[in-house]
Amino acid sequence: MKFGRSLGFLAALVSALCIGALLSVAVTTKSYSESYPSVVCPPTIAGLTSQISLTSKKTPFQRLQNRTTKTAPVKVLRLPVNKDSLLFNSEGVAPVVWQSKASSWAGGAVCTGPATSQWFVGGTADITTRGRLIIINSGLSDAVVDIQSFTENGKQPLRTITVVSKNYQVIPTDSLAPGDKYLTVHVAPRSGRVNAFMIDEQGKGLSTLGGDLVNFAPTASKSLMIPAIPHQIKDRSAALPHTLRVLTPGDVDAIVTAEVLSADGVFVPVGLTSRSITAGIVTEFQLTPKITSAVLAVRITSTEPVVAAIKSTVTVSGRKDFVWSTSAPALVPLTIAISGLTPLISFAGDRINVSLDVTLNNGKVVRKTIKGTEIATWRAPDAARSFTITKVGPDTFAGALVSSVNGYGYFPIAPGSLLTKIELPDSNIRVLNP
Amino acid sequence: MASLADVDKHRVTAVLVSHNGALWLPEVVAALTSQTRPIDLITAVDTGSEDASTKLLKSARIPFFSTDRETGFGQAVSLAVDKLPKAVEHEWIWLIHDDCAPAPTALAELLNAVDDRPQVVMVGPKLLGWHDRTHLLEAGISIAGNGARWTGLEPLEYDQGQHDGIHDVLSVSTAGALIRRDVFEELGGLDQNLALFRDDVDFGWRARTAGHSVIAATSAIAFHAQASATERRRIDVEGALLHRPLLLDRRNAAYVLLANSSWWMIPWIALQLFSSAIARALGYLLAKLPGYASDEILAFTTLILRPGKILEARKVRKKQRFVSARVVATYIPPRWSQLRLGTERLVESMRARVFPDNTSAAVSILDSVEDEDLLTPVKTIKWFSVFKRPEVIGFLAIAIISLVNSRNRFGAIVGGALPISPSGATDLWRTYFESWHQVGMGSSLATPPWVAVTAIASLAVLGKVQFLITTFFLVAPILIMWTGFLLLKKLTSNSWISIPAAFLYAISPVTIAAVSSGYIGTLILLIFVPLVAIILHDWLAIEKYSWRKIFAVSLLFTVLYAFTLMSFVIALVASVLVSIDNFKDYSSTQDKSVWFDRLKKRSALVFVPFLVNAPYSFEAVINPSRFLTEPGLRIPGGGSLAVLSGNPGGLGSVPLWLISPIVLVLVISLFSSTHARGIAEYGITALSLAVFVGSLSISTRGNEGAAKAWAGPVLSVVTLAAAAAGTVLLNSLRQTLILSHIHYRHVLAATLLFITAAYATLAVGYSLSTGADSAVQANRATVMPAFLSVETDTKILVLREVENTEDKKIQYYISRGRDISLGEPDVAPQQNASIAQAARSLIDGTGIASSKTLADYGIKYVYVKNPFKKEVIRSIDGLGGFTRTSATSLGVVWKVSQPTGRLLFVAESGERIVLEAGEFGARTFVPGPGTLILTETANRSWQVLQNGYRLDRINNELGLPTFKVTESGEISLLHDGTVRRGWLSLQIIFLSVVLVMALPAGRRKSEISEEELA
Repeated sequence: MKFGRSLGFLAALVSALCIGALLSVAVTTKSYSESYPSVVCPPTIAGLTSQISLTSKKTPFQRLQNRTTKTAPVKVLRLPVNKDSLLFNSEGVAPVVWQSKASSWAGGAVCTGPATSQWFVGGTADITTRGRLIIINSGLSDAVVDIQSFTENGKQPLRTITVVSKNYQVIPTDSLAPGDKYLTVHVAPRSGRVNAFMIDEQGKGLSTLGGDLVNFAPTASKSLMIPAIPHQIKDRSAALPHTLRVLTPGDVDAIVTAEVLSADGVFVPVGLTSRSITAGIVTEFQLTPKITSAVLAVRITSTEPVVAAIKSTVTVSGRKDFVWSTSAPALVPLTIAISGLTPLISFAGDRINVSLDVTLNNGKVVRKTIKGTEIATWRAPDAARSFTITKVGPDTFAGALVSSVNGYGYFPIAPGSLLTKIELPDSNIRVLNP
Repeated sequence: MASLADVDKHRVTAVLVSHNGALWLPEVVAALTSQTRPIDLITAVDTGSEDASTKLLKSARIPFFSTDRETGFGQAVSLAVDKLPKAVEHEWIWLIHDDCAPAPTALAELLNAVDDRPQVVMVGPKLLGWHDRTHLLEAGISIAGNGARWTGLEPLEYDQGQHDGIHDVLSVSTAGALIRRDVFEELGGLDQNLALFRDDVDFGWRARTAGHSVIAATSAIAFHAQASATERRRIDVEGALLHRPLLLDRRNAAYVLLANSSWWMIPWIALQLFSSAIARALGYLLAKLPGYASDEILAFTTLILRPGKILEARKVRKKQRFVSARVVATYIPPRWSQLRLGTERLVESMRARVFPDNTSAAVSILDSVEDEDLLTPVKTIKWFSVFKRPEVIGFLAIAIISLVNSRNRFGAIVGGALPISPSGATDLWRTYFESWHQVGMGSSLATPPWVAVTAIASLAVLGKVQFLITTFFLVAPILIMWTGFLLLKKLTSNSWISIPAAFLYAISPVTIAAVSSGYIGTLILLIFVPLVAIILHDWLAIEKYSWRKIFAVSLLFTVLYAFTLMSFVIALVASVLVSIDNFKDYSSTQDKSVWFDRLKKRSALVFVPFLVNAPYSFEAVINPSRFLTEPGLRIPGGGSLAVLSGNPGGLGSVPLWLISPIVLVLVISLFSSTHARGIAEYGITALSLAVFVGSLSISTRGNEGAAKAWAGPVLSVVTLAAAAAGTVLLNSLRQTLILSHIHYRHVLAATLLFITAAYATLAVGYSLSTGADSAVQANRATVMPAFLSVETDTKILVLREVENTEDKKIQYYISRGRDISLGEPDVAPQQNASIAQAARSLIDGTGIASSKTLADYGIKYVYVKNPFKKEVIRSIDGLGGFTRTSATSLGVVWKVSQPTGRLLFVAESGERIVLEAGEFGARTFVPGPGTLILTETANRSWQVLQNGYRLDRINNELGLPTFKVTESGEISLLHDGTVRRGWLSLQIIFLSVVLVMALPAGRRKSEISEEELA
């Protein structure tokens, strides 16, 4: 054969290619470590009571001010907290802390993993405030934390504090910007495993004006959704007022539009179309929508990244309280513990299609599907221990409203800790080469 | 015979000594009998000749007697003189060698010279060559301080009468020397300890110190064959160990100097003799003349071992001496003239080798045809026509492309596979010679030889390594094109084909990738592979190669192996395949000698460089991934599919859509009927190997993550084969295409040319644009912040996201406070499992014990280089045992809370103290009994000395070397480099042997033709 030898060479080449392909399949180049970071719940400061809702009695926890790293199971589904901040290894389940002051106010928050940026839109620094900012360092090294406050008078001087390991600091909000009324605080740790919580409590003399736990937003955004705002009708003619607080933390003024989503319809309230917000100035707008729905949501769109929250006045057992409804992240599959809370969950989005599994105290699981447009609500059953979002459509947001004898509270439906998939490092001397 | 009274007042007795001289004797006898001044008496002595010498003497009717074979020349002469009639006034003895034929007027001229010089007792003729009778051998002789025979003449000096006249000399050769009999007898004749050689100088010296004169009369001429000195006959005299003339000559030279010199000069002369013997022995070894080398050493040694002879000789001379021994000083050549002559000889010999004389006959002026010259129109050369030559266009283009491509590489370049170069060659030498490398947790691995090669190369730029590396990357494409052109122009005489092919070779995907990602080894291979192809173009018939050529090529291979052992793999695969092919020939021809000869030479070619690169190459056997690595850091290749297209892939390579014509050319050539087919077979084989190599995922000691091997070195062979095959194909196809009608060949050629042109255009565009922004750039900011380099003995765990072609990956390594430097990645140690676990735990946030682990291993800091995942930084913040010390734009630094360092002392109480330790060894104080822990990789060469005793060393549970200290006091920590020195010595020996074998061999005098000698 004239070209037999040549074909033989080509066959050798093809063989090498085939062997190469087989060898390539066998190799993986990366290895990962998947874990849920431990979540931190706020301490119970003097005069308050706290309960933490959990999904399992076996959830291990540590007291933060205990220097040992030993953990113990909680043994209950609703853990009362006397003092210390607690660290839970909840494996992806978001525990919810419910704090209250007897006959005064109540509020809820999701216990979360360490955060690199937390925006608290809420609270005041004026004479009426009894608010506190709690900075927790759950790490084993000291933490350095930058606290940047904004008010109606603009950006305040940066305050940097050091929080020793496994400890927390309570900072009165009136010390952040004394005398200023509209407060927004950005907590950004430089180092350390840091979580922050904010309590907004107001009073006048001996009388209390209510209070709430202010939930945080991780970042400023050009589009945000506040999915659950309580809308109580005082009488047939008027509803209790809402106040929209907005801040554009950048250097450029923002044009903001707020859109109300309710069972009565979707509309932009008068005066909230294309409102100019001065950069760095905390601005408030009154929001008094003429709707009959008990729950509403507000979608805010802006030309610049903004943070926002809505303060709603509510009455509980004839007493006045207020709720800070903050923006929520887009809903993702998650599990949130609600033992003893019976929250009203409000879903907001263009097309709501959420499947969830409700785990009852007896261990049974009830499957639910929530469908709707713009806004849909669902109240968790009394005996619910937790619910798990198993399936969710895009751009759907949710928040929870909880009413108790002491007051009214809100928390966004957000994961307490996300599954952290970290690529395990290899030893490679190349790291020492520019 | 005429009587004395018939001619003059002198009486001349010729003493002819013969020893196996039948070859020359007839002419000698004829010369003696034809003297114009007849000889008064001739007597001959035969010293046991085994040839026809005695018959010839008999037939010439020369009276003679025979003696033992071992009788020396001086002894033979003395025996002859003893048998002569009683001495008369003006009687002369004319010493005649059996290989020395005096000219007819020689005796007359000699006597004429002494006629009015009564003080002269010894006179000698001008000695000319036996075969070339214009070659001046001697006109008087002397001896140099190092024992060399000194004639003051240049080698093969042509006799034009330039030395004619009567000269006072120290001595003359005994060949044709006329000696006054009375003085001969008075001085006891020639020293019988000098059986042969140098007896003449000795006699002259003694005559001089006895107050007489010695002259050379050049009007007298004799032709001397120098049969004994040039090994034309066997030396049988007594004391001629192993019948070696050189040994005898050197020993006698030393004897003459030591016996005759002033006593206070003896130590100096002995030193000179010894050092020059060593130097000459080395020279002979280089010239592959070990026999001569041993002669040099033995000569001196055998004499020194028997000092009694010298002492006795000195006593004799003392009695005979009438004037100071210094009287001969004027006749001893000054050292500078020895040096000058030696240098001239060396230069001349090199010149003759490099620029051999043009033997073509000169054109006679008579041959010119002036009339035709006048008719030839005058040519005016337009200077810009130079730029129309393809060579100029091609090389100018590649120079411009390289210059523009290197616009970000002017300065100290670093990046990709290339670490930062040290500023001076000293650092490279230190890296090469040191037995312990401060890399990671420390390593005792052998530094690859390319470090030494680079250090040597940097001498050309005054040791500026950074400048060398920068320049190398700048000129590499030009050199690649140049060597490629050297090969390709042998395949075609058409420069318009060879230059574009060489240009394509210089802008091939592998060249661009190697320059962009800093692969020195591939570039070296790209430069040298064409030269290897030129040298080994007929290597199928390797049995025709001389061993010298095999070793010379081995030296070239040694350099290639030094840069990448993948060249060993290529050579091995090629040799194995060709040997299998040869075996088929053997099966048919049954010519065992050729088969084995080929096998031996191929094996030598492949394995000798491997030996010279020991111990680096030997370590590769234990750690085979080294066969697939190159100098510097390991950057993943692009995998087998990329390699199939001739592109090594990976960082800095041209995009995969930019397909080069390499494979297409090879495949077309494979089906060609021209010589291109053979070349394509090599190319396809190499491509198969490259594809296989490219598909392998390897991990190395410095990089434990598996990643695709870089197939650049093999692709350099593939690319060259494609360029060569394309050249041959086009060269042969061109004429066919011109002459034939359009058919498929035209279409195929057009397609190939189009693809080639498209690739060339796009590759040049890529090279000029994106290629310049490659990983290798000048003046990059260092990874390690300056403040971490302040502490000299600090180990730092560095975490960083390293970018590859597709993604970023978190990786870590231990730094010694500075960035990695050239040569260090190649000796990186295997990663410690505990440290690896600690680093991983830091990342995933579970590392509660990471701090302790790091402290145990002496790691003082953790440094996270920005940009980095903030979550991980938080995670480290959350772990106990670390204190943040800084957070800058460069990155975040934590200090390990537990005190730690390079040298830890744990007292018996359990207290842990960090001791002062330098970068390498240490001299410090231990406060009391306890345990000393060195936080370096365990190695048996680590030693701690206290009070002159070595402390017991064990490896603790962490694998760290630990020493038991029993008392307080000063200790010395050191790393014993004996093993490394041993390996280096072995390497030098291997290299020297290969070098000597590769050098042109010297010839024994017996191997030099008569014509060349004289």
